[in-house]
Amino acid sequence: MSNAGETTSEDIEEDKSGLFGSNETAKNRKRRRLITSLIVIFVGWELFGQFGIENRLFFAPLSEIAVSGYENWISGELQKHISASFQELLYGMLLATIFGIAFGILIAINQSVREHCDPIVSALYATPTVAIAPILITAFGLGIASKVAVVFLIAVFPIIINTTVGIRQTQESFIETAYSFNATRWQVIAKVLVPSSIPFVIAGIRLGVGRGIVGVVVGELFGADMGLGIFIFEAGQTFDAAPQFLGILILCFAGMALTGLLQWTEKKIAPWHHFALDEE
Amino acid sequence: MKNNKMNVLDNNVMMEIRGLSKEFSRNGERLQALLEIDLDVVEGEFLCLVGPSGCGKTTFLRIVQGLIEKSAGSIELYGKPITQPSADRGFVFQQDNLYPWRTVIANARLGLELAGMGTDQANARANEMLKLVGLEGFEQSYPRELSGGMRQRVNLARALTIDPKVLLMDEPFAALDAITREAMQTELLRIWREAGKTVMFVTHQIDEAVYLANRVVVMAPRPGRIEKIVTITKTTDRSEDAKRSQEFHQAVDEIRDIIESHDREDIMAN
Repeated sequence: MSNAGETTSEDIEEDKSGLFGSNETAKNRKRRRLITSLIVIFVGWELFGQFGIENRLFFAPLSEIAVSGYENWISGELQKHISASFQELLYGMLLATIFGIAFGILIAINQSVREHCDPIVSALYATPTVAIAPILITAFGLGIASKVAVVFLIAVFPIIINTTVGIRQTQESFIETAYSFNATRWQVIAKVLVPSSIPFVIAGIRLGVGRGIVGVVVGELFGADMGLGIFIFEAGQTFDAAPQFLGILILCFAGMALTGLLQWTEKKIAPWHHFALDEE
Repeated sequence: MKNNKMNVLDNNVMMEIRGLSKEFSRNGERLQALLEIDLDVVEGEFLCLVGPSGCGKTTFLRIVQGLIEKSAGSIELYGKPITQPSADRGFVFQQDNLYPWRTVIANARLGLELAGMGTDQANARANEMLKLVGLEGFEQSYPRELSGGMRQRVNLARALTIDPKVLLMDEPFAALDAITREAMQTELLRIWREAGKTVMFVTHQIDEAVYLANRVVVMAPRPGRIEKIVTITKTTDRSEDAKRSQEFHQAVDEIRDIIESHDREDIMAN
């Protein structure tokens, strides 16, 4: 609910750790410190790459990575790889989200389904399902379908589990309140259980995205004709460090951007949960 | 509307409770929560149920709402047996139970929404009730942004929107601080007069019961039963000053004596 121009408690919190007793807001302080860290990392990276390491097979200074990025962008190679990986992640996540939420709700509200499936879901969540990637590549080929399958399989379990937990942690008294108005079972599900679980579901999707990115890269390493994973792999085959780091950096930023997007979404559609965290 | 409030006891019986009993069994052990309760509730009255913990007053109220099943006996509201929750009874919980994901107005219209009323119509009705409980201007706030007293006002408005014949209130002010509680008691009396509802109000505080009620039902534990019904004579409209009057203290003492005589028996028996 922190609209632009509105001061939140966080904004007016003073910087108590500042040595010089400055009055900058907490938000500005965090931003300034993040930028400082990034500058130190980037400068350190460049200097280490230029002067600290002899062997360019393992490491590339930032400037070389930037050049590699520019060249690959101009040739149009990079966009094709990014687009392929992005589509794999997108379709895989969409399937995992839709199926994960639906199945999670079913497990939460139906005792028979829960007792049949819950232990198996938990076991599969703990299994490194990414190890099944080679089989999926064999089954679905080198194209996008096999990677979508990998992403789905790896991302769906945290979404199922979080949806189930989110629904089952709903306060008993909230359900009783609906029943006191003579609500039907379906109304309780739609108006109480599902809305109450939303913050958990979004957290599950966030976990899923993190795993999904791993799924994309690992899936592509096992076999793909396009994608950032295969881009990194091929650069590795020619002992070219710069494009490898380029691919890793793009994945890193993509992960950060998607996590940020989901946090923003949560603030928008579940503002009450955001308040809870604000107060701490 | 106001007139029938002044001499409620001459008025019609709206709810007839006969031989109401409730047994729980926990780990094979049988527990008589309520034993053969007989009670007539009069249209428009403010009825308080007091008693020590374990006297079954909350269980009683929940059975009237239809949230728990009775073991024996009958409850009739205007001649119709009560079996499940319905729009003729509105329940105000001890915890406000507001949904944190809903704004104040969306919480207030919950009952109407569940009954299938359209949002515009439900909002209009909810607005009216929020105004009645003094929450105009807070419609779009979230429960988290409200104080305990304000949340209980929403809780009350939510029960009122469905326009129930009787309002069942289960220690709604128990979690509030003393000053807010007193203010809410006076507010509740105002709302009761303006809304013209019958109220059944459970509390464990004797002075609260005497201040609010036309009649106080004093309950005793093990098994839960009605010990005595004390009629509170009210000469004028209740104001805060009433709490300083002699009649007020006499009534409080009378009820306290009834409750304490049982405590003594209990201590002797154990």
